[in-house]
Amino acid sequence: MSYSTNQPTKNISLFKTLPFHLLIFAALIVIWELTNLYGFEDQIQADMIAPRPTNIVLAMLDILIVDKTVWKHLISTFQKALLGASIGTAIGMGLAIAATLSLTFRKYIKPWIILMEATPRIAVGPIFVALLGFGLWSAVALAALVAFFGPFVNTFQGLMEVDDEAEEMFRSLGASRFQTFWKLRFASAMELISAGWKLATASAFGGALVAEFIQASEGMGVLIAQYVIMITMDYAFAGLLSVTIFGFILFKIMDYFDYRLIFWKNDYLLLKESEKRRKKAGIVS
Amino acid sequence: MKTVSFLVSFLKYSLSFILVLGLWEVYARYGGLNELFLPRPSKIGAKLYSLFVKFEVIEQGTIYWHFFATLAQMSIGFVYGITIGTTLAVLAAFNETFRRYVAPYAVVFNVTPGIAVLPLIIAWFGFGWESKIALATLVCFFPPFINTLTGLLKKNDEAIELFQTIGATQSQYFWKQQLPNALPEVFAGLKLAITTALLGTIVAQFGSATEGVGILMQRFAFRLDMAGSFASLVTMAIMGLLVFTIAEVMDRRIVFWRDAKGLERVSKKKQRKLMVNG
Repeated sequence: MSYSTNQPTKNISLFKTLPFHLLIFAALIVIWELTNLYGFEDQIQADMIAPRPTNIVLAMLDILIVDKTVWKHLISTFQKALLGASIGTAIGMGLAIAATLSLTFRKYIKPWIILMEATPRIAVGPIFVALLGFGLWSAVALAALVAFFGPFVNTFQGLMEVDDEAEEMFRSLGASRFQTFWKLRFASAMELISAGWKLATASAFGGALVAEFIQASEGMGVLIAQYVIMITMDYAFAGLLSVTIFGFILFKIMDYFDYRLIFWKNDYLLLKESEKRRKKAGIVS
Repeated sequence: MKTVSFLVSFLKYSLSFILVLGLWEVYARYGGLNELFLPRPSKIGAKLYSLFVKFEVIEQGTIYWHFFATLAQMSIGFVYGITIGTTLAVLAAFNETFRRYVAPYAVVFNVTPGIAVLPLIIAWFGFGWESKIALATLVCFFPPFINTLTGLLKKNDEAIELFQTIGATQSQYFWKQQLPNALPEVFAGLKLAITTALLGTIVAQFGSATEGVGILMQRFAFRLDMAGSFASLVTMAIMGLLVFTIAEVMDRRIVFWRDAKGLERVSKKKQRKLMVNG
């Protein structure tokens, strides 16, 4: 006999499943729309709890294309999050590299890191806002503080996990310390490191948004909160959806960079790259 | 021997800790630091003393009340979140159709920064405990979901073969192989979830609240009472450490087969039990 959960997942092409996906999605939307129209006694209450999907789409068109209100705030939030993620990543990776290179540093930094991990770092938000003001920098600082942990842990773990045999080979080839670090440790850690970047970006968004909720002059956090206060829930949903959509695009771009950057994990790219290098070195195969 | 080396390392750590605090204090005393930016450790200590020992009342309660409120909100949100997450994951693991058509929504859901939903949640659930619980649930349901799903779908061909040859039933296979095989991942998900639940609770308290450590932090910071806000930060660190330690201990007790030492301990216990009985 075989166990039901362990049958291989059938490979059905997207072509076949797509209609069902769309059907389910459409059904959900229709149910939602009908709930809004007929499920509540009070229309205001209905729009408060579940604004109609058609209204949300109209609101999205409005804020993205007609009125273009969202762009200023969207750019502001993305700017804060990306700046924060970059700064946090630089700090996290720097600390991780220092920790792998020096045993003493690693030993003394460990309790601090545990303490940092357990503290909900986002909670520092009000302090940053009180000190750095309502503008860009309080949000960037909070985003960086929240973001630094992912790259730190991933870089550290990646750099510490080195294939012993490869290290032996590097030694027998007489590689310098720098070469071993750069071409072996760093290269093999690259996958984890880039996963850390993605973690950093995701958490930096959280940090930037929280800083904006606490107090800010612009940004998606402010915009969504304003829409909610004006009880225009469809607009609030539209704002939320634009964050989702552009966040999704950003992550897709990061995925693509990953794919190109870590070319040695993909057979096709690896072949192409080595062909290029052979030509450059003047080796004709 | 073991206790001695533990003591030595403990002493070393606390020494480095005290050293850092001492340097900070001295530097601040000689005017090197803006007191508004980073208060002296002694001031933070004094504030902590008045909060914890002298039961100073702030925002209609002592710090213990705020601590308890936050912890309770977090725990309720955590329980809801993991219930939803693991239930969905089990359904998805056992039903391919469900997995195919529902998993994408969960993933899209995860791309949205959960924290961005805060204003909506406050509008729906109000300023009381419900909104904090709801945000904690929302931000913490995803790690248990994805980890439980990957854990349950992970398969070991040799184990399956073994279970087939000894004629194990489906339920035996589930309880003795699939579930234990998945538990380490499930617990890793729970550990992630418990810290994010705390985070969600505190962020929701920033939105609007009358009790909780988050609101204390905000009030202190806006009054520019930096010693107070650092004291509430320390309180949150304590809470975080407490929650984290509980999760860690539970993980080690329940998923004992993850490391060799725990495995040995439990198998010895089982052996002894068998000897007594037979």
